[in-house]
Amino acid sequence: MLIVLLGLGSSIGAVCRYLITQILSKKSNWSWATLIINLSGSFLLGILFGSKLNTPLYLILGSGVLGGYTTFSTLNIELLFLHRSHRYRLELGYAIGSYLLGFLLTLFGFMLGQALTMN
Amino acid sequence: MNQAKCLLSIAFFGAIGGCLRYFIGIAFPFMGTIVVNLLGCFLLGFLTFLWLNFHTVASWLSLGLGTGFVGSFTTFSGFCLDNVKLLLAHQMFTAAGYICLSVVGGWLAAKLGMTVGIYVGQRLQLGKDR
Repeated sequence: MLIVLLGLGSSIGAVCRYLITQILSKKSNWSWATLIINLSGSFLLGILFGSKLNTPLYLILGSGVLGGYTTFSTLNIELLFLHRSHRYRLELGYAIGSYLLGFLLTLFGFMLGQALTMN
Repeated sequence: MNQAKCLLSIAFFGAIGGCLRYFIGIAFPFMGTIVVNLLGCFLLGFLTFLWLNFHTVASWLSLGLGTGFVGSFTTFSGFCLDNVKLLLAHQMFTAAGYICLSVVGGWLAAKLGMTVGIYVGQRLQLGKDR
């Protein structure tokens, strides 16, 4: 049963990611969609982890929805495309921005989640 | 109609990708996230450049496999959370190694996938044109 809900959660996450990417990609040739998705998803996962949800709910929302929503592979493909079109500065900035901010936002989310469930 | 087909395909393959990530996490307790992320980078590099060189795949299928399956299979939030957990456990060296392996390995895996994808795509296109 849990695995079905985890799969359903991943579906929801993946469809949200696709729709957000579609909406944000229409405006310019360089899209911030994946960065926004990965950072918001990491922040939310930090909150979930910090608020110590019960295991099934954490698996469905964390591993399922947010795991399906954020993506490591698309980030690397986008970095590769930037590299191939010789936009090295943007490539480096995008990589550092993603990894550093992703880590900091997860940590911040974790502390926020802990604070919210203190009492 | 086509949009609905694409959404359904992404949802279907996204569920498979998420479940597979969960099972790999169980099979490789400490390395699950690294395994899915590096495998996924290779796979997405391969698929993306295969389709750029060999144009016969319907958009609903390419979106389902690329955006749905591989996108859902890999996880950025899980990677970040693993690092926060290592930080909280004061395992700085493990965290540094984990980050280097993921960041450099992910990029190289995507590039390797790209190289293989271009090669296979061109061979297939050549065979079709003949």
